[in-house]
Amino acid sequence: MAIPARRRAADVVAFAFASAATAFGLLWLTWILWTTLREGAAALTPALFTQMTPPPGESGGLLNAFYGSTVMIGLAILIGTPIGIAAGTYLAEQGRYTRLAAIVSFVNDILLSAPSIVIGLFIYELVVRPSGHFSGFAGALALAVILIPIVVRTTEEALRLVPDQMREAGFALGLPRWRVTSRILYKAALSAILTGVLLGVARISGETAPLLFTSLNNQFWSSSLGQPLANVPVVVFQYAMSPYDEWHTLAWAGAFMLTVFVLGLNLLVRLLALKGRSR
Amino acid sequence: MNDVATEVRITVPEQSRDVATAVKVDIRKLDFRYGKGHALKNVNLAVPANAVTSIIGPSGCGKSTLLRTINRIFELYPDQRATGEIVIDGANVLERGYPLSDLRRLVGMVFQKPTPFASSIRSNVGFALNYYERLSKAAMNDRIEDALRQAALWDEVKDKLHLSALSLSGGQQQRLCIARAIAVRPEVLLLDEATSALDPISTAKIEELIHELRERFTIIIVTHNMQQAARVSQRTAFFHLGELIEFGKTSDVFTNPHEQRTRDYITGRYG
Repeated sequence: MAIPARRRAADVVAFAFASAATAFGLLWLTWILWTTLREGAAALTPALFTQMTPPPGESGGLLNAFYGSTVMIGLAILIGTPIGIAAGTYLAEQGRYTRLAAIVSFVNDILLSAPSIVIGLFIYELVVRPSGHFSGFAGALALAVILIPIVVRTTEEALRLVPDQMREAGFALGLPRWRVTSRILYKAALSAILTGVLLGVARISGETAPLLFTSLNNQFWSSSLGQPLANVPVVVFQYAMSPYDEWHTLAWAGAFMLTVFVLGLNLLVRLLALKGRSR
Repeated sequence: MNDVATEVRITVPEQSRDVATAVKVDIRKLDFRYGKGHALKNVNLAVPANAVTSIIGPSGCGKSTLLRTINRIFELYPDQRATGEIVIDGANVLERGYPLSDLRRLVGMVFQKPTPFASSIRSNVGFALNYYERLSKAAMNDRIEDALRQAALWDEVKDKLHLSALSLSGGQQQRLCIARAIAVRPEVLLLDEATSALDPISTAKIEELIHELRERFTIIIVTHNMQQAARVSQRTAFFHLGELIEFGKTSDVFTNPHEQRTRDYITGRYG
């Protein structure tokens, strides 16, 4: 009977470690949410969504920053998703057994882990300096460059998860590759690809460094992509570094909204994954 | 080439009143290599038209490879090569210039595991039809009904054609795959262990179906189930280590095989 007792003890210890590790992970999330909520509570009013970023000493909201972030992220999705899905499809399908695909995949991995500030600098040199000014378009481009490798990787993995039998079944009907890919494989991999895009959006929505070099910030309402565009991460950064209490509160509120947004995206991803599995 | 293809080259005496004697798929000097492996060695096999030919043999003997060569599905993978000839209707389908979509329209295939696409029953059957033919809605419906009837599935699904194909049982899914394959009106059907993932009742249904389909199609089935081969086929080919050991009338191969290796296999000495 000595062994069962030892096993039970090992089980208790392992369970305790696992629970502690889980609690440790959750602690930070709740801590962050709680702190940003507490510090930003004063600014979490309708005005946050209806008023512009204020000058020092006055009250205001983050409307222009929310708008700018939405536009830049939206444009980044528009640019990055088609390119990412197309490249991921090439890697998983057309190029599957080729040397070129192996090289592209490797380069994509490098891009995937490239520091975002480097990408910001790259777009600065490519767009901002030649044009002479910061712009929302440059910001969206920088975000797209960060998004692309994420979508490439997840699209490739999603398509590789579709069993070869489905491909064979399509090809055995005499259908060309583009039709097999678009009508059979994308359908089977849809929720996984969407998951990748959403995770990529979650990743770029909090990026600050690449926007500092590209879109910078704009204290006033501007809907022009050719002009500097306000955005939540840079506003949070600048307001948090400022000496003004009102700005601090707004920065906390902005940080809270960002965290909730990313959390929401991740919950959506879980939901999609569950749906994908039940199919 | 047609005059060559009019007589069946089988190893049993010409006593077969059971099948027509025209050859549909004439396999000549076929070799199949992958990497350094040699999966089929100088295979010569004349598959008769409008009959069921079963291919049996122990695992790894090349029987699935043979099927995958006939519709050239093996070309999806690198380092796989087939040399020799497979002549269907007078043309060597292994020739580079032979259009793949023509070949695969002529030769349908059903796989071991059911492979329904993640869409409705209706669009599964109409899937390839949509690509090959411009049909009116009514004509399309007729073709879909026709294919489902031929696959003995119509009565079970006629009221739920819009439902997902994934909601069907395994046996129904497999019959759906057969319907999908025959919807484009092929002349040859390849069944690669098409019942090995199914329960006995579904298997019986599909065997019955094979029996009915043989009047319209030339059917080649790969099976590891010798009873099944004996039940459904008129011709049987026994493969071992990539070689065709024996080919003849199913009754002869099972009751009076010429080769010792065939005898050993069907009496269960190995396999």
